[in-house]
Amino acid sequence: MGKRLAKRPVVSGAAVPGNPESASERGQSLLRLGRRDYAPERLLVMAIVNRTPDSFFRPGDTWDDQAAMERVHQVIAEGADIIDIGGVPAAPGPYVDADEEIRRTAGFIALVRDAYPDVAISVDTWRRPVAGEACAAGADLINDSWGGWDSGLAEVAAEFGAGLVCSHAGGLTPRTRPFRPSYVDVVADVVAHTQKLAARAIEVGVDPSRIVIDAAHDFGKNTWHSLAITRRLSELTATGWPVLVSASNKDFIGETLNVPLPDRLVGTLATTAVCAWLGARIFRAHHVVETRQALDMVSAIRGETRPARAVRGLA
Amino acid sequence: MIVAAALCPAPPLLIRELTGTDEVVPELRAACLAAAGELSAAAPDVIVIVGAAQQTRTWAEDTLDLSEFAPGVRSAAATDAGATPRAGMAAAPGSAPDLPPPLGIGAWLLTEAGYAGDRILSSVGHDEPAVRCADVGAELPGLRERVALLVMADGSARRTLKAPGYFDERSAGFDASVELAIREGELDALLFIDGELARQLMATGRPAWQVLAGALRGHKVTSEVRYCDAPFGVAYLVASLRIGQAEERRPGWLS
Repeated sequence: MGKRLAKRPVVSGAAVPGNPESASERGQSLLRLGRRDYAPERLLVMAIVNRTPDSFFRPGDTWDDQAAMERVHQVIAEGADIIDIGGVPAAPGPYVDADEEIRRTAGFIALVRDAYPDVAISVDTWRRPVAGEACAAGADLINDSWGGWDSGLAEVAAEFGAGLVCSHAGGLTPRTRPFRPSYVDVVADVVAHTQKLAARAIEVGVDPSRIVIDAAHDFGKNTWHSLAITRRLSELTATGWPVLVSASNKDFIGETLNVPLPDRLVGTLATTAVCAWLGARIFRAHHVVETRQALDMVSAIRGETRPARAVRGLA
Repeated sequence: MIVAAALCPAPPLLIRELTGTDEVVPELRAACLAAAGELSAAAPDVIVIVGAAQQTRTWAEDTLDLSEFAPGVRSAAATDAGATPRAGMAAAPGSAPDLPPPLGIGAWLLTEAGYAGDRILSSVGHDEPAVRCADVGAELPGLRERVALLVMADGSARRTLKAPGYFDERSAGFDASVELAIREGELDALLFIDGELARQLMATGRPAWQVLAGALRGHKVTSEVRYCDAPFGVAYLVASLRIGQAEERRPGWLS
């Protein structure tokens, strides 16, 4: 299992200019995922396990059941808090219907649940029937990146006592690319839409402590928009909802640094650190070790955790 | 009377400030500026900028709010102390948020090309049938003594696997037939484009092409195609159209 860092109280007052706002000042509260509760200061890694032959990053690596389970063992050992299992790539491509998507995910979720009764599992889907089968198999969180395109997800979450990610995709149909999106204020649009989805989820019975919001970088957004939502992430965290950031290896990083897909880790970690500083709590990642370290660094800088081992200058 | 016409695509990346450090498409930009420059050189009384949008109407504003595509972008003009934003482009909110981007981009092109004269911004609805588009076009020659047209229109956005609209195998043929019509000056052929097919292929320029056809009905047109490619999976066509006399039979002439 991953190492659990001991926490200590914040020692300096967060009223000092330049100090980050504390999670409680931002209105953040307890987050429930599965059987676990997470205090506002906890920074969580959501490890991506794609059950697809054609996802954008290292396609096919975890298509095979055994390879996928190896990956689950590995990321849990590396400190992942949530295992995110998805059966359909976000990009356009060969059609995957709901039945096939269920075939790719539900059985595997059951295997993971069996092997790890306590780990939080999320299902990466926009489809209600898939979310239903996944939750029945043991998923704790419905990770929808398409902005609630299928409004029935909230009902499924309520039915199973699961959580829901409320995201913003600029109205895009799932698996389509943005075509010249423009916004008078993209951040205001994101905040309004995610709040609306969250409010609706509560109305239909989703536990508020299990609701998460996600600006969904690059979904219905160009590089400038994705940079803007990163820059202004504190406006999302100020809503009080836990914020999920899924930026790993995305094109806005590639376009910012002019680097191809295999070379985006550094840009991803910079984005991760900035988002963590601005109050995000969950980080969806391909690279768990590196993400865990970046987040641990941010927590220590904030004074919310202590260094692993302090000797230098103290001996 | 239409004295000159030009066809340009309307991707936001035409505007240099939106592509970051890399120019991205200098040849495309140069071709559009050359076409816009030729319109200006025809000494029109007005240039009408035509583009597809949600509604069929004219627009009083001509300033595109760049921040809708690129929040926080620094325009070249804005970095000069005391510089006022150039006509056709603004980096600050307060500009008309509803101005259809094709028209704003067209206005930017004209200003970049040095045109300081009158302009009319005219949008035509995405779903307007060919007949209606042609009617809109037919109104344009009579607006002033010397009218030039800048038609901002894109072909299919489904040309490649990486295209914004992914890949549709029908796109290349569709775009080729539009290109042929423009090259040959057979603008009437544009009126027979299947609107539903154009919509499926994300060829957003269809209504604007048909306005062009309506405006130049009966004229002999020769074209210079300055650019024709789909580097990002969206079909971009840049052409300068030279307008001959309206073909009509005068009484007394032998046929």
